[in-house]
Amino acid sequence: MKQLTDLEYLKLNRNQAFWYKLKLFFFAVPQLFLSFGKSILLFFKKIGLYFKDETKDLIYTFSKGNFAVKLSFFVFGFGSFFYGQIMRGILFLLFEVVFFTYMLLPSGGIYWLSKCNWFQTGKTVGNVHGRYEYDPLYDTEVWVSGDDSVKVLLYGLLSVIFIIAFIYTWRLQIKQCRICMEITESGKKVKSGKDDLKSLLDDQFHKTLLSLPLAGILIFTVLPIIYMVLIAFTSYDANHDGYSNLFSWVGLEHFNQLFNFGKGGVGLAFGEILSWTLMWAFFATFTNYFLGMFVAIMINKKGIKFKKVWRTVLVLTIAIPQFVSLLYVSRLFNSTGIIGKMLIEWGMLPDSLLETKRSLWENPTTAKILLVLVNVWIGIPHMMLMATGILMNIPDDLYESSKIDGANVFKQYTKITLPYMIFVTGPYLLTSFVGNLNNFNVIYLLTNGNPLNTDVGTAGGVSVGHTDLLITWLHRMTLGSSDTQYYMASVVGIMVFLVVAVLSLIIYNVIPSTKNEEDYR
Amino acid sequence: MMQKRLGAKASRRLGNTVIYLILVVMTVVWLFPFFGILLESFRVESPMQQGYLIPKKFGFDNYIKLFNETDFPKWFLNTGFMGVATAFLQTFFILSMSYTLSRLRFRGRKLLMNFMLILGMFPGFLTMILIYKVFHDIGLTMSRAPLGLIIVYSASSAMGYYVSKGFFDTIPKSLDEAARVDGATRWQVFYKVIMPLSKPIIIYTVLMGFMAPWGEFMLSSYLIHENSDGMSVAVGMYEWLSRTNMNTHYTMFCSAGVVVAIPVTTVFLLLQRYYVEGVTGGAVKG
Amino acid sequence: MARVKLTDVKKVYGKDTVAVSDFNLDIADKEFIVFVGPSGCGKSTTLRMIAGLEEISGGTVEIDGVVVNDLQPRDRDIAMVFQNYALYPHLTVFENMAFSLRLKKIPQKIVYEKVTQAAEILGITEYLTRKPRALSGGQRQRVAIGRAMVRDSKIFLMDEPLSNLDAKLRNQMRAEIILLRQKINTTFIYVTHDQTEAMTLGDRIVIMKDGFIQQVGTPTEVFEMPVNVFVAEFIGAPKMNIFKTDLVLENGKYYVTPFGAKIQITGKKGEMLKEKGVESRKILLGVRPEHFILSNEHDKKAIPCKISVNEMMGSELHIHGVEPDGESIVVRIPTITLEDDRRKTLTMGNTIYVTFESKVMHLFDDDTERNILL
Repeated sequence: MKQLTDLEYLKLNRNQAFWYKLKLFFFAVPQLFLSFGKSILLFFKKIGLYFKDETKDLIYTFSKGNFAVKLSFFVFGFGSFFYGQIMRGILFLLFEVVFFTYMLLPSGGIYWLSKCNWFQTGKTVGNVHGRYEYDPLYDTEVWVSGDDSVKVLLYGLLSVIFIIAFIYTWRLQIKQCRICMEITESGKKVKSGKDDLKSLLDDQFHKTLLSLPLAGILIFTVLPIIYMVLIAFTSYDANHDGYSNLFSWVGLEHFNQLFNFGKGGVGLAFGEILSWTLMWAFFATFTNYFLGMFVAIMINKKGIKFKKVWRTVLVLTIAIPQFVSLLYVSRLFNSTGIIGKMLIEWGMLPDSLLETKRSLWENPTTAKILLVLVNVWIGIPHMMLMATGILMNIPDDLYESSKIDGANVFKQYTKITLPYMIFVTGPYLLTSFVGNLNNFNVIYLLTNGNPLNTDVGTAGGVSVGHTDLLITWLHRMTLGSSDTQYYMASVVGIMVFLVVAVLSLIIYNVIPSTKNEEDYR
Repeated sequence: MMQKRLGAKASRRLGNTVIYLILVVMTVVWLFPFFGILLESFRVESPMQQGYLIPKKFGFDNYIKLFNETDFPKWFLNTGFMGVATAFLQTFFILSMSYTLSRLRFRGRKLLMNFMLILGMFPGFLTMILIYKVFHDIGLTMSRAPLGLIIVYSASSAMGYYVSKGFFDTIPKSLDEAARVDGATRWQVFYKVIMPLSKPIIIYTVLMGFMAPWGEFMLSSYLIHENSDGMSVAVGMYEWLSRTNMNTHYTMFCSAGVVVAIPVTTVFLLLQRYYVEGVTGGAVKG
Repeated sequence: MARVKLTDVKKVYGKDTVAVSDFNLDIADKEFIVFVGPSGCGKSTTLRMIAGLEEISGGTVEIDGVVVNDLQPRDRDIAMVFQNYALYPHLTVFENMAFSLRLKKIPQKIVYEKVTQAAEILGITEYLTRKPRALSGGQRQRVAIGRAMVRDSKIFLMDEPLSNLDAKLRNQMRAEIILLRQKINTTFIYVTHDQTEAMTLGDRIVIMKDGFIQQVGTPTEVFEMPVNVFVAEFIGAPKMNIFKTDLVLENGKYYVTPFGAKIQITGKKGEMLKEKGVESRKILLGVRPEHFILSNEHDKKAIPCKISVNEMMGSELHIHGVEPDGESIVVRIPTITLEDDRRKTLTMGNTIYVTFESKVMHLFDDDTERNILL
């Protein structure tokens, strides 16, 4: 597509400019993915290079190092002891001892690793099946427990992480030993253990501050997520819970199911839910955004009294725990609820609902509309508060000068307020869109994903609701009793990640705030 | 000239009247559920949904029952305990992370931020499958679920560092530099200079941490089911509105809702200012 | 009380954004040195490297013979005043000034003495219990200076301390800094983008551009012998006029021929040219606006110039003119030397004739822009 120069662009009238921009955007999207793909390739290339450099460096270090450096290739922390950094040395050595002890114990790392049968399609995770055996003592069949696949996989994964940590530490202590050698050779003194401790409060302060939060994230987010990604390649579900029945590796089978678009196929259900999820996120985000802004402008208008009162009324919805207000509101619209009953009595429902005296929640279309409306009720206050803060930051002289230029209230809104708001709240729009994609609370507490979508059928045994978002569907797959399908939940989870990532990438590149950071300062 | 000005004034008055009208209607819509819940909580004649707002007979029966015959007091204490503990831990984690990312420069900083950004795109709920298994084995579910939940809420909370990083970013960097030239270590800069200036964001973070367990449902319902001892108010009360319980517990749900809303709303309204600062700051900085 | 020596100091951001390079400077004990240059020239970066706030990418910084490259700011015994004052908003003026002493756990009695003494000198005693928020810009500036004073440190660094003040206050504070310097006799390194500050404050001035030192010298040296066109234009206001013209060697005498005028180079400058054996060539001729003299149309040494803008500054008159080839020219005339009827002719559209003496002219290479007399 032909790129216009700045001056050529200025020649276009409004319509032309709009089409030009639209075209630019659509041409830019493939470009975006291309460059994204390239950067991923580059990332892997960089990793490759890193390992190459590291290996080279290691060989060099070994050949040039003195005997202390050479010995640290085998004995952790030897160099540290040699150069008088006792504390570091003890820690390194301790790590090595613990590592080897753990790995070589009869039920240690190697044992678990070998039990995992990593990714061998058809093989089970763990190899001793639990079974009933006749026990002569009690004269009955008793359960003899075998392996628990969940545990086996977890310990296997932990062992892998341990090995990676081991290699990293090995490399680290060699590097440090070499640095010590170089420092000593240049006639300076190496840091003592006391210096090390002191620096943790100064130039290494980030390590101190980050250690706990990062440990939390690694243990409670990263590890479980890696684990769940592994689960997508296994048959972990209610029937193969790993304990009474080992689960096994199945390769890409579950991912293939995503392409099953027949009735009862996961692909069909996924498509339905994804499209509603996107629709929901779009409407939920933008209704709140514009209505919230509108309310903020009204309340902040000069000459409107009781500003505080209006604001506090709205803020109440934020203050009261969502599950109380949402559950109550959802029941208000029940056929026995105050509003639901009123609607039936007044006959203000679609005929299909009126005949059987059902509530708005029981028709897919009305349920969806009502969801967006209730979400407005719960969401406007947030946006109102934020917009209030931002509106106050818009310099008054902008409005004054536009008044002199002859702009009316409406023009002022479209030419000053809106562009400023969109610019400033760009990042918020992104996060709130993503937040709505995963807005579990509102959907779950209001409709629980219902009414059920019988056209789609049950996707691999899990029912599908008309108002289900991907996230509530995921919840269905893990918390139902008989139809629990952890592997499918994991596949859907990975898909959610992909959807969010792709959308974020696009939105991030479209919103102005990330590009022209200085425009409004 | 004179006439034109009068015209402007009149049209402004008209505009304001329309705005007042809209605001009043909004107030009614917004407050309706809260009045509804309050009124229905005092209804004595029937414990189920009735389809009318004003009770035929007022009384405290529901509240008395709530505290004497149900596990609600237990749930309430559980949630309060979780709120306080989470507020404390989460604040510590978030402040450490956001301060580090905002004001210290170290190798891998950008990488760490990108890593957390990408990590945040996974549905956090997925982690519960493994966490539930492990917690179940070490006994942190069911009756001891509050402990488990505190860990779940706090452990990864540092990933939500954005708002407070935005706040720290607004404190001029030269303050740190001045302090360092004056002889402060980075730790001293942290607690002698930056922390005293960060009251608003500390309060905001504490407030968010305290409020979280009161409204959170997804994760807690995963760790606790059936066992009523360890439930939070959200999980416990949700059961009351299930199809089977609703006919016997509906008004009780309302009264419990009122009891839950009072402390949380009070705390929130008292500290509203900090919340607003946090929300606006976070949006602007992204 | 310290010598500062910078050797081949270099600062590179990221991979290849060079902020400072080849910075060599020896600062004597108790010297007042000023780094000056346009924004982005690396002057603040250099100062921050001396302070230890910025990592040094290459070369060494020595204080009293000790390499301080790897020392933390607090171990370098320096005091610093920041452009935006960087006062701690939550502390009173007293505590702001006492901050560094408190960190060193100095007894309250001595803290009190030192702080009140500094406050006395700066005239801020009555504000000691106030928070910075309640102070005016000038008062904040004093507190910032006071905070640095109580340290009794070896080196006093100031990073554009006056640039946030209004013009009047700036002049006043500038005078006060000169007084302050006499009271606390220590090494000063001062960064500014304002050439007036540099000229009035510095014992020596370091003029920088794009990360390189252009010239180091006393105010007189840089004013009278600028090494290149950049320095010539940077020092002095309004800036020096630069014309493209010819240097002509005729019968052993040198002339410059700006716009048809022919002016002989006499005196020291002529001798220097002769010594260097300079041939006839193209050059850049520099003349400061204040060095023009009004002349008349009969003067062969005069340049005709059509007045386009006429700025009356009170004590002097700035005339922006256009000479015949279309190049603009700025002339500065003290009003006191003008007779009334002469002044009346200096209106827009009129042509005036200006000339100058050879001893005030500056000659630069037309290609490298370096001073050909150096």
